[in-house]
Amino acid sequence: MIELSLEVPLAAFVLRIAANLTGRVTAILGPSGAGKTTLLEAVAGLRRKARGRIALDGAALLDDARRVNLAPERRRVGYVPQDAGLFPHLTALENVKFGARGDEGRVSTVIDTLGLRPLLNRYPVSLSGGERQRVALARALVNRPKVLLLDEPLASLDVELKERILPYLLRVREEWRAPMLYVTHNVGEALSLADQVLVLKEGAVQASGAPREILPSLAAAAEPSAAIENLFAARVVSHDPEAGVTRLRIDGGPEVSAPLAPAWASGAGATLAIRAEDVLVAVEPVRGLSARNVYAGRVAHLDVAGADVLVRIDLSLGPHWLARLTPAAVRDLALAPDAPVWVAVKSHSVKLIA
Amino acid sequence: MLTADERGVVLFTLGIATLGTLLILPVGIAVALALARYRGPGKGALETLFSLPLVLPPTAVGILLLEGLSRRTTLGAWLSTLGLDVVFTWRGVLLATSVMSFPLLVRSARTAFEEVDPRLVGIARTLGHGPVAAFFRVTLPLAWRGVAAGATLAFARALGEFGATIMVAGNIPGRTRTLALAIFHESQLGRDDRAMALAAATVVLAFGALWTTEWLTRRRARRRQT
Repeated sequence: MIELSLEVPLAAFVLRIAANLTGRVTAILGPSGAGKTTLLEAVAGLRRKARGRIALDGAALLDDARRVNLAPERRRVGYVPQDAGLFPHLTALENVKFGARGDEGRVSTVIDTLGLRPLLNRYPVSLSGGERQRVALARALVNRPKVLLLDEPLASLDVELKERILPYLLRVREEWRAPMLYVTHNVGEALSLADQVLVLKEGAVQASGAPREILPSLAAAAEPSAAIENLFAARVVSHDPEAGVTRLRIDGGPEVSAPLAPAWASGAGATLAIRAEDVLVAVEPVRGLSARNVYAGRVAHLDVAGADVLVRIDLSLGPHWLARLTPAAVRDLALAPDAPVWVAVKSHSVKLIA
Repeated sequence: MLTADERGVVLFTLGIATLGTLLILPVGIAVALALARYRGPGKGALETLFSLPLVLPPTAVGILLLEGLSRRTTLGAWLSTLGLDVVFTWRGVLLATSVMSFPLLVRSARTAFEEVDPRLVGIARTLGHGPVAAFFRVTLPLAWRGVAAGATLAFARALGEFGATIMVAGNIPGRTRTLALAIFHESQLGRDDRAMALAAATVVLAFGALWTTEWLTRRRARRRQT
């Protein structure tokens, strides 16, 4: 558990955070300039003006009342800044081995987990954005951190690259037990990785809790283009090259067709990402539609999200779905809680991210 | 070619310049780092103060050192009782040339340290290295070309220093006579061929030092482009 009771004076405002973070992965969301990076730097010990208390599993890193303020080198944090912050005079391998607490075995394991073998002799200047992020993540992991601080590890990457890095982050989450503070302004990332969310605005905690609980406010706060509202844990069932689809089964839910993705082994775990605006809602059984994925369900809840309405739909099995509709569509279909509906999604709207 | 005495002058000058550069290196690095990182009031005044020997007439620096260290002063008398006379000794040559070349080292090294992203130092700290280790593993390696270029410039300046040296140490054959002083001396006596031979020696030494600086600076520029 990470206890935060923190004040950091900044140019425009004072960052004030009081929160107990119990999650394995805590996503820190908020617009630019909300104080997200400052929070990570304060935990890492890189903000001299930080006051208050920061404790990790009961051990204080900073505690004004007891005059505790551990130097960064004694805090055992793994910090991955937004631009990776690799040492330009060292190769990828030298960067990974830079930490004072690693050993050969640890270095080797981390390099394999993050798929860095082909990059080891290259200098940061010749690495792509995604490669730099992976090297920086490896450098932090090798040093046996007690907490990982990741600052928008996916922000500077295009969609394709994001989908290649996210699996590594999920592996890190599964294989290393250190808790993670994950700064992002992307709701989809937060939902696919985090079990707790802290929303910051102008240096103050605006909301905190389980991702699904504060989803409506998150969806409203985020840029619509960046948000992926439907994220489902699933398993690959089969590939059908002739039909051009890969079939997956949502854990405890129905089968879904996605565009053919032969790289995913049958039985492999994956996260399905479907934008709420790609979910069609019908009030009668759907026939003669090209969409491959059609399911019967009931409206559970309607929420205003900006100019749109976010409709929560419970299917007979598995997790609920979210559909983003215009108020006009909601009115014309007379959608109300408990109304029977059918949801439809084209295969191409289903993305496999991990 | 050079006579035995003249070769002695060349070796003495090289020795003084080398020793002086080695002595000012740690101090200059510390001052340069402090100037690069310091953001408080008086930054401009401090930077100007450390650059002052560059713009003052060398003889002015020389007279200040002479007056400060002669046996009439407390400091000079105390050094004398330790057997460490400065004025009119090789130590005076070392002091005068070091003071005059110090700002060149500091200016070049300061620019190099300013180019090192302080966040990289912070990251090195989070990876378990203390401030000293972080300096030697990150700051210095990233700034070393600038530091080395500054040291070379300082070395070349020490080779050619005249005004401050002659004020503090005089021009004593076999004791404080450097190349620059010897050229002046031979020319005053009308021995222009000897003055020219010594001048040729300084050209070779100075060219070597400056070429090294150029080479280091070029490599630094190339790395920044990639």
